[in-house]
Amino acid sequence: MSRGTMPHPGAWADQSCVEKPAPEPGPSSPRMTRAAAPEGGKAAAGGQPRAAVRCPAEQEEDMYRDEYEIEKEKELLIHERGSSEPRLSVAPEMDIMDYCKKEWRGTTQKATCMKKGYEEVSQKFTSIRRVRGDNYCALRATLFQAMSQPAALPTWLQDPELTLLPEKLISKYNWIKQWKLGLKFEGKSEDLVDQIKESLTLLRKKWAGLAELRTAEARQAACDELFTNEEEEYSLYEAVKFLMLNRAIELYDDKEKGKDVPLFSVLLFARDTSSDPGQLLKNHLNQVGHTGGLEQVEMFLLAYAVRHTIQVYRLSKYSTEEFVTVYPTDPPREWPVVTLIAEDDRHYNVPVRVCEETSL
Amino acid sequence: MSYIPGQPVTAVVQRVEIHKLRQGENLILGFSIGGGIDQDPSQNPFSEDKTDKGIYVTRVSEGGPAEIAGLQIGDKIMQVNGWDMTMVTHDQARRRLTKRSEEVVRLLVTRQSLQKAVQQSMLS
Repeated sequence: MSRGTMPHPGAWADQSCVEKPAPEPGPSSPRMTRAAAPEGGKAAAGGQPRAAVRCPAEQEEDMYRDEYEIEKEKELLIHERGSSEPRLSVAPEMDIMDYCKKEWRGTTQKATCMKKGYEEVSQKFTSIRRVRGDNYCALRATLFQAMSQPAALPTWLQDPELTLLPEKLISKYNWIKQWKLGLKFEGKSEDLVDQIKESLTLLRKKWAGLAELRTAEARQAACDELFTNEEEEYSLYEAVKFLMLNRAIELYDDKEKGKDVPLFSVLLFARDTSSDPGQLLKNHLNQVGHTGGLEQVEMFLLAYAVRHTIQVYRLSKYSTEEFVTVYPTDPPREWPVVTLIAEDDRHYNVPVRVCEETSL
Repeated sequence: MSYIPGQPVTAVVQRVEIHKLRQGENLILGFSIGGGIDQDPSQNPFSEDKTDKGIYVTRVSEGGPAEIAGLQIGDKIMQVNGWDMTMVTHDQARRRLTKRSEEVVRLLVTRQSLQKAVQQSMLS
């Protein structure tokens, strides 16, 4: 498994400065609903009004539906369409090669490349879980993997100073008030400091709760319950985004003082659109969850924010040394590792590994 | 015990000699194993280092050959009859322990409680 090479400054100038991630469609993105259709096939198939399907024996009944029946059918249709939106933000696992065969049927060069990539992944992972494809998917996939792993509560989360961070930073840097909250929180009149503090507290509380569960199954089930497209889930993302901003501010200050900083932070602030943390917030972090996901250099920032090493199988880079890219490039040994899969660098899914126990 | 793949390992080991029990066609040992270089090391509740892909004892049957021999849950198996078990796949480990021609398997295991006991006595 090769480590991803650090892109040299020239490469960044070509790529991320100019290119903004293509705006992804809203919450019910094609990926999730397309994949959901086979599973929810019974419920959502064509939305055929039930009343129209009658068996021959019942032909004596009045074929014309009255106003009341028509209204009832409309309600059923809406209900069915609504329920075809999966509740779980991370779908149940499915065999990885089955998934690959379904998604990539053709014989184009790209399809072949993807199939080879998935085959390689299947050497270490048996299954894949699709992640809801809105612009939170990088955060979602990473956080889901980190929280569902059987490991103790990270020490940085145990720090009591954590919840004092919003107060500290926002009073110091007024521009943080330009923070754009997620759609689920729009219209809330709560003070930003309180909002973020609540999110951080929730992150710690939920993570600690998961860490206390004894078996891997219980932890996985509880994690599934947390990621159910409700306000709670999105509150966690506000916390993570804030932690990313916090780290960015730290790194920027260190850089200004002439201290040694990791290379990615130099590149992060070398972009025209994020020459300082304020710009980073306005032009980048504020878009995450709305009109854009995370760019490559921001994946490094995410890793630093949650102190987890993010290992990504980048299928589009199959047969190059970037096939498995590790964020950050030289991770500290004590950071837990989470693994993600990305076909292009826009959407992330999570692989699931087999854990055998054999009795002798 | 911190374990860096490729580096020499220093460990306090315990010898455990298991006499397999014949049950019909099978020779059973009375314990279960987890781990292996093809497995997910972060799922191991017994290892100190979460990157350790060694073979660990995950269960010991009460009154079985392994328990009688002194094997304990959480033990890391270093060697079986001279064969290394620190860099094997899960299946390789299974095969090394269940050879039909061997009625006795001599294991070298490390145990965290042992490590700590030795460290303590060295300090005093």
